[in-house]
Amino acid sequence: MLQKKICLLGAFGVGKTSLVRRFVDTIFSDAYLTTVGVKIDKKLVTVGTEQMALILWDIAGEDEVSAVRVSYLRGAAGYLLVVDGTRPETLDTAVSIQSRIGAEIGGVPFVVLLNKADLQEDWAIPMERIQVLEAAGWVFRRTSAKTGFGVEETFQELAARLAR
Amino acid sequence: MLDLPARISDSLLLLLHSQRVLAHLVIDASQNLVQAGGHLEHYGLDGLVPGGPACEQLPFVEGLLPLTETPFLIRSMEMPSGRVADVHFFADDSTVWILLLDVTAEYEEARLVQQKAYDMTLLSQREARLIEQLESANQELTRAHRELAASREALLLTHDRLRQELRDAERYVLAMLPAPLSEPFVVDWRFVPSTELGGDSFGYHWIDAEHFALYLIDVCGHGVGAALLSVAVADTLRSGALPRTDFRNPGEVLAALNQAYQMESHGELFCTVWYGVYQRATGCLRYASAGHPPALLVSGPPEAGGDARPLQASGPCVGISPAALYRDAQCILRSPARLFVFSDGTYEIARPDGSMLEFSAFTEILARPIRDGQSELDRLLDFARDAHGPGALEDDFTIIKMGL
Repeated sequence: MLQKKICLLGAFGVGKTSLVRRFVDTIFSDAYLTTVGVKIDKKLVTVGTEQMALILWDIAGEDEVSAVRVSYLRGAAGYLLVVDGTRPETLDTAVSIQSRIGAEIGGVPFVVLLNKADLQEDWAIPMERIQVLEAAGWVFRRTSAKTGFGVEETFQELAARLAR
Repeated sequence: MLDLPARISDSLLLLLHSQRVLAHLVIDASQNLVQAGGHLEHYGLDGLVPGGPACEQLPFVEGLLPLTETPFLIRSMEMPSGRVADVHFFADDSTVWILLLDVTAEYEEARLVQQKAYDMTLLSQREARLIEQLESANQELTRAHRELAASREALLLTHDRLRQELRDAERYVLAMLPAPLSEPFVVDWRFVPSTELGGDSFGYHWIDAEHFALYLIDVCGHGVGAALLSVAVADTLRSGALPRTDFRNPGEVLAALNQAYQMESHGELFCTVWYGVYQRATGCLRYASAGHPPALLVSGPPEAGGDARPLQASGPCVGISPAALYRDAQCILRSPARLFVFSDGTYEIARPDGSMLEFSAFTEILARPIRDGQSELDRLLDFARDAHGPGALEDDFTIIKMGL
């Protein structure tokens, strides 16, 4: 069976662990529990007629004192950059991580998740910033780990891109 | 490496072994798991079966082999049992050794500290956003306040201009009113609009050497519209601007006026009109009414007083029905006598307790004897204001006296 390593990266508190829990176990908890180190999960998906095992690396969020360990991305077939749509500064973190990853592992497919889409009234990321990054080749998807909106579809979309 | 005696190195190894719950995995050059040992069950890895591809049983090695960096460390990896391990990779020419060292206690401690720090950071970020939103709302409010102040200023200017224009209009309306007469008989009046521009107007003039016309108009409502119509009707009567109309014939005049001022073409406004013609040689007063209160005739010398007799006449208001008819009535005025023509605002006075002034009280004031050069018109106005209490009267107060 085809097996692909996918890493989830982003600032702390953007919902990486919640996205994995929603995708793997279809559950969500409102309580915020920070991630230390790495948590690895496995999820089988079907791409076309083939089954594929996604090995999901939920890596501790980046903050002002600890950067993402880029070496953990070694061998990753793709990655998800997660942004909290209610915290504009998390998009800055995503931009910073992307610049470092690009230098380390090159042109690996990635998707940017604008998470917490359920908090539409608190949305704070200007559309213009997203348009500029889209013009630079970034692929954005809106997701909500809380409601499940866009989660399954985005993982499936990335899996399909990895299968090509 | 530290140059330690073997017994100390061995002790350290034993210490590490006892504290870190060591487990190990060995992967060969073909990336098959060839060996697994130590406390595998501690990490939930006791079901491993040496011999197959390593990445099928150990998902975390997917993509990492062959190892490009040795030693290589993955810190604090949560294992299937829930324990947390530091995962150390060591490679030589043909094999990769993976050592698992339990760091669950340190992990829990670090997680608690990090949780606290992140909670605080998230709170301060939220606070900063709220402050930003508040500042933005405050700026918006300040701007709105400035705009409001500017609007208020503009409104005040407009208000002042309109007020000035109303004063000009009021002066014009007052200038249109005829001056009191003293010869050959006395004609006097009092006109107090309830607003700056009222709906009442009146006039009197000689139609010819023998006939004297006297009229009063009361347009429903007050303000600019009512005043304009009232002045227009008075001007029509004053200038005799009704075609094929004998202005000595009150019924004919009101009928022609009614044709000319239908409410459909005059802003839905209608009016009451009293129109009378006094013939000097005979003393005959012919009059007609379009929905107007009856005039009052008080016979006898003013000093003695007398009875106030209403001069009844009936007809609908001007402007309501084009088919309306108006009948003349007439009486003889014998000197000394006083004729009072007035609008309903002179007697429909509300007292502060809400009760209305009685019409009989109104007629009694007019019929009361006059002494010391006092005017019954001023007396009536004082009486109305006393009854009404503080503030402007609700309706226009208009009364004309013709004294023979």
